[in-house]
Amino acid sequence: MRLLMNPRNRLRLFSLALILTAGLVGAAEKNPQFVQVTIRTILAENKTDDFDPKLKGMERQLKPLKYRSYRLLKAEDQNVPSQGTRSFEIPGGRSLTVAPQEFQDNRIALKVRLTEREKPVIDTTVKIPNKGNFILGGPPHDGGVLVLSISATAQ
Amino acid sequence: MRDCESIRESIGRWLDGELDTAESESIRAHLASCEECRKAQQQLESIDQILKTTLLAEAQQIEFLPFWRGVQVRIAQKTPWHEQALEGLRATFTLSRAAWLVPAGIAVVLAILSLDSYIPGLREGRNSFASVESIDAYGRNVALLRENESKTTVIWLYEDQEEENATADEPAKSAPAF
Repeated sequence: MRLLMNPRNRLRLFSLALILTAGLVGAAEKNPQFVQVTIRTILAENKTDDFDPKLKGMERQLKPLKYRSYRLLKAEDQNVPSQGTRSFEIPGGRSLTVAPQEFQDNRIALKVRLTEREKPVIDTTVKIPNKGNFILGGPPHDGGVLVLSISATAQ
Repeated sequence: MRDCESIRESIGRWLDGELDTAESESIRAHLASCEECRKAQQQLESIDQILKTTLLAEAQQIEFLPFWRGVQVRIAQKTPWHEQALEGLRATFTLSRAAWLVPAGIAVVLAILSLDSYIPGLREGRNSFASVESIDAYGRNVALLRENESKTTVIWLYEDQEEENATADEPAKSAPAF
């Protein structure tokens, strides 16, 4: 504490704290090496009123879609390198390619491409909050429609 | 041998006991042999005596007891915490000592800005929606939905209902239901 009695030393210590804080801020904003991408493929239909218990926690997100039943068909996660690309197999001969673009302001930009039998269905770039998700839905499947929940977490 | 003028200048200090032994002895020896300086010594002693008597007489008329009691009360009295804090702040924030405030202020601002990176969800509500930057559905119909309650962004692909009816007996309900 005697060190702090001297104003010159106090200034030195605060400058050091300032430099360290600036370093931490810089580190916090640095691009992550990997992004964990999770794809949950859900079948939405109106044949029954069943709600798959594996989808617990997603009720509020699925509610606006106004289908009567939701069933989880597949859940897959992969660690995708920053600026890398990974493909996820989707039922019905489809494929979803995900490529993280940038990480800024705690948001991850994802370039997403859905193809069906090698033909592109949609190309989109979406910025989602870290650990957040968005929903891509609509492709018909097995008497209902597919709903894809695409989430990303910076590693 | 010191001259009379220098001796007379020192008599006052000698009477007050401020001189060292050698000087005192020198003055005492001079006074024993010099009539004029002895007179000066006696005059000074008389003034001192009168002053002492007068001060004592005046002092007896003064009520010292309440004064000392007041001093003792103030010594025993504790300064309230808010006055102590105010005094501390005054001492800390004087211009010469406040130089640390500049880097400290910047450090606080940077720390606040970086909080979001360390406390996930701090900015929720402000920036929690997914935002669609670009979209190409290769001629298909696309609906975008941003649902406030669950903060969900939905991209919905659908085909024209007429086209579906023409191509299938039991159409898949892919048109947006929201």
